[in-house]
Amino acid sequence: MTRFSQATPDPLRPRGPRDNDTSRRQFLKLLSAGAGAAAATRLDGPPAQAQATGPVKLGVLTIRAGIAAPVGAAGLRATEWWAERVNKAGGILGRPVQLVVEEESNPKDTVERYRKLVLQDQVEVVLGGISTGVTLALGPVAEDLGTPWLSWDGTTQKGVEETMPNPKWTFKSVDNEVEAIVAGILTPKYFKGIKTVAGIGNDYSYGHDCWESYQAVLKRYIPDVKFVLELFPKLGVTDFTSHIAAIQQSKADLLMCSFWSGDATIIMKQAAAVGLFKTMKGVFTTAGGVHDSLKKEFTPEGLLLGYNTMYFDDPKASPLLKQFVHEYKAKYNEYPPYECDHAFFDAESYKVAVEKAAGAGKKWPEKAQVVKALEGLEIESLSGRRSWREDHVQMCNFYQGITTHKNAYDFVTISPIEIVSTKQAMKPAGSKLFDWINGWKV
Amino acid sequence: MQKIFNLACGSFYALGAYVGVSAVGWYVGAGGPPALFIVPLAVAGLAVGAVGVVVERGLLRFVYDRDETFQLLMTFAVVLMMEDAIRLTWGTAPRSTGGLYLAYGQVRILGATAPVYNLIVIAASLAIALAIGWLLTRTAFGRIIRATADNRDMAEALGVDMRRVYAKVFTLGTALGTLGGALVIPATAAMSEMGIELIVEAFAVVVIGGLGSMRGAFVGALAVGILRSIAISVYPELEMLLIYLIVIAVLVVRPRGLFGGAEA
Repeated sequence: MTRFSQATPDPLRPRGPRDNDTSRRQFLKLLSAGAGAAAATRLDGPPAQAQATGPVKLGVLTIRAGIAAPVGAAGLRATEWWAERVNKAGGILGRPVQLVVEEESNPKDTVERYRKLVLQDQVEVVLGGISTGVTLALGPVAEDLGTPWLSWDGTTQKGVEETMPNPKWTFKSVDNEVEAIVAGILTPKYFKGIKTVAGIGNDYSYGHDCWESYQAVLKRYIPDVKFVLELFPKLGVTDFTSHIAAIQQSKADLLMCSFWSGDATIIMKQAAAVGLFKTMKGVFTTAGGVHDSLKKEFTPEGLLLGYNTMYFDDPKASPLLKQFVHEYKAKYNEYPPYECDHAFFDAESYKVAVEKAAGAGKKWPEKAQVVKALEGLEIESLSGRRSWREDHVQMCNFYQGITTHKNAYDFVTISPIEIVSTKQAMKPAGSKLFDWINGWKV
Repeated sequence: MQKIFNLACGSFYALGAYVGVSAVGWYVGAGGPPALFIVPLAVAGLAVGAVGVVVERGLLRFVYDRDETFQLLMTFAVVLMMEDAIRLTWGTAPRSTGGLYLAYGQVRILGATAPVYNLIVIAASLAIALAIGWLLTRTAFGRIIRATADNRDMAEALGVDMRRVYAKVFTLGTALGTLGGALVIPATAAMSEMGIELIVEAFAVVVIGGLGSMRGAFVGALAVGILRSIAISVYPELEMLLIYLIVIAVLVVRPRGLFGGAEA
């Protein structure tokens, strides 16, 4: 998903402690190896030889600061959980997994850190990338450096259109606007007689793209629907009182909101304070990203709420998801959001692809062989079966549903649960989004 | 008064917000009645203002006589350090006081529903503004503050202990910032970057109202708040633009701001 164009537009910001840990550890290792000569051998030696045995290094890029830091934390936690699990079971082809974590911040610095992961740390694969503002810049670099990169949540879309239709090394997240399309499909099913709609989203690509896509889809189902208000407060705003007043004034039948971070919680609370949803229906395409902060006290029942690709409380959850949710809760006292699923899928699909490419001989495969094995690969992720489309885009299910208070938590969950596949709600490879939507038979 | 341009005011606001959330969390956890949550919130918000002494005595006093650039750089460094300190202490996820915002219910005023808590905050702001006005105009300490702001050397020559006055005034300012952060938090959520957001808006308020003028800050804040709300209702795209157009207009037509002193 596109989140925002600049995660942390701040070159002065110090990097996370993990980076320093890693480099310090490596430095100490080099020291303990004895002398400069040893170091030189290590750094100059051919990577294939140096890495065919011993731990396999996986680079991880994650947001650590700013408004998306909780999203980054969730992705990293799931990757660490995966690595622990894989290492307990004997690693990948017998090699233990070692994560080298770097920070995703603004595009320029993140590209530098990506280069460092590939060239200096000599990782086998890079996992991660959340903001499309950043990953749009990473795509060409990944192609240039010839090491597979599996994005968690970032795409190489400009607006709603693809900029890298045939990548070799780049593997991208689902298209940014899918959850808005899913919400557009579900809106007429759950909310009858909607004639006027107001929209609010963050003032950057993701907010605008979701609103455009949602309108296009809804118009297909309700041709005479009127969009009476659109608001795009900038990212980081914490007071929506005036926006809510304007929404009330618009007297729309329904509010569509694509907030996905702390701002989703805030607008919910401030809307409840003036009783907004007593007179208006609500669609929150992405607020499931902060689902456990949507407390029952201020989040009404009857809203359409999107959880992206993973719903922690799915009654049909696989044993894998149940175990993950249980251990995540025990360790962090939180219930995991969807970013965990993107991250787990990337890491696990890499492992399966390496094993598949190695074949019966169990010889560690070349990077290009791993890429081949990833194309079209379907595996078991936290949320169920997920796959890589041939053009390197994630295929998965989206979970949305109607908020309910009937659960054991202090926050809302959804019932009924709607599961919509990217096969239905994502534009096919090579097509233009709005042409594709306008071509639907509804 | 201190002729210092302090960017860290935003960080104090954020700090007050986080400490307020923690205090309320602790209070509710200890079984305190929800209706009184505003007491620990306000007390914690005021108490953490004591950090002002540390910043003033530990850092700012070294740059009073330096160029404004040094002051800006140093207070910006404080902003970055505080942001990371907050992240280390409270983590990266937004923190909120749950549904306590609605603990006092809602009232209908002129056909609109408003949460009672908002009215309490408005009343508290007015009370604070009046109290500061009283302090500045009716007390000996207020006269010393105004005298110092007017002519520091003369005040010092007349026996005013500058160090004490500076420490007190800065701590008072800090406490107002932290209290503001704490009071606003039930309606929203604490996020580590909220300080920087505030600095930008505060800058617009101060330019419009006039640097160094309390009345100016009051009127500037009201003007910015009301104009933003009107812009969002009438023509949302204008929201930020309008504020900065006014800032530019003020800078061009009346550079000292609506209420600024002649030399500001």
